[in-house]
Amino acid sequence: MPVRPVVRLPHPVLKCPAVDADDPASTAVAQLVVDLVDTMRASPACVGLAANQIGVGLRVLAVDVSGHRKARSCHGEIVLVNPVLVEAAHPELGREGCMSVPDLTGDVLRATAVVVRGLTPAGVERQVEADAFEARALLHELDHLAGLVFLDRVVSPASLFRRRVYR
Amino acid sequence: MATLAVTVIGADRPGIVAAVTKALMDRGCNLEDTSMSILRGHFAMVLIVAAPDDLDARSLELAVVEATAPLGLQVAVRTVGDAAGSAPRAGEAWTVVVYGADHPGIVHGITSALAELGVNVVDLTTRVTGADLPVYSMVMEVTLPPELSPAEMEVRLAREAEALGVDCSLHPSEPDIL
Repeated sequence: MPVRPVVRLPHPVLKCPAVDADDPASTAVAQLVVDLVDTMRASPACVGLAANQIGVGLRVLAVDVSGHRKARSCHGEIVLVNPVLVEAAHPELGREGCMSVPDLTGDVLRATAVVVRGLTPAGVERQVEADAFEARALLHELDHLAGLVFLDRVVSPASLFRRRVYR
Repeated sequence: MATLAVTVIGADRPGIVAAVTKALMDRGCNLEDTSMSILRGHFAMVLIVAAPDDLDARSLELAVVEATAPLGLQVAVRTVGDAAGSAPRAGEAWTVVVYGADHPGIVHGITSALAELGVNVVDLTTRVTGADLPVYSMVMEVTLPPELSPAEMEVRLAREAEALGVDCSLHPSEPDIL
């Protein structure tokens, strides 16, 4: 049950869209899921990881926001193979950091209500309806699988001030 | 490598960043942290650069002035030590927002209250908007000393804001590591 190193920018695997796992029931995917969850559990502050963060360009993610103070919905450990975003609504700003982008944080607008569908490691279709922090975590990992890091979505510091014209 | 601080200000127009950074690159400098913004029509740049050991601040200043002469920029280059690791031990990060009718003393009053508490300002931006009824807005990010509670800071800031006749609100800006 190896904990793998979390790759960091500028590693190209982070900027390359991951591909669907052809055979979600394969032993290779099963081993990837074990490694992904083990690696996520190895860092106490980590609430999610995408497969490309451990160097594997397959569309697999793991999320667990159990016990997080900002979580409302909480499905415990979520592992999805070939996940897709079905619905996303009610965007809100939140400040994010990422294990693959150390030392930087940024304000990112994310939907706070999402529906994500994918396969469980057992190959069963699963749909997750999440809100608040769990939604943010899922969207952050889905972005990784699309080759995006939070820096790609960070809002401009200037947008802290919405300039108005007073007359 | 030596660490140099480069400050540049001039009437805003396209090409300032490109011209200044070319002059720095041509002298073998590497940009480290920088902050650049338009302030009341002036484009203001502050850059910390890593410079070759044989490049002194005065020579670099002259080189940048010469290379950007058509832009009419005011340029200053100074040697600064490597300050990494000298920042105070930081506790929680908070965002403090202050706004109200513009009058002298708002920034000084609020930041003096923070300084008395040992709170460190790590980022601060202010804007004045409106000609007839100028409104002063300030957003800053601060870090609390580990022994200070956010509630103590909130009480102190509320008192100061009331004395200054401005509104003040604060919220935690701790990032979530995903």
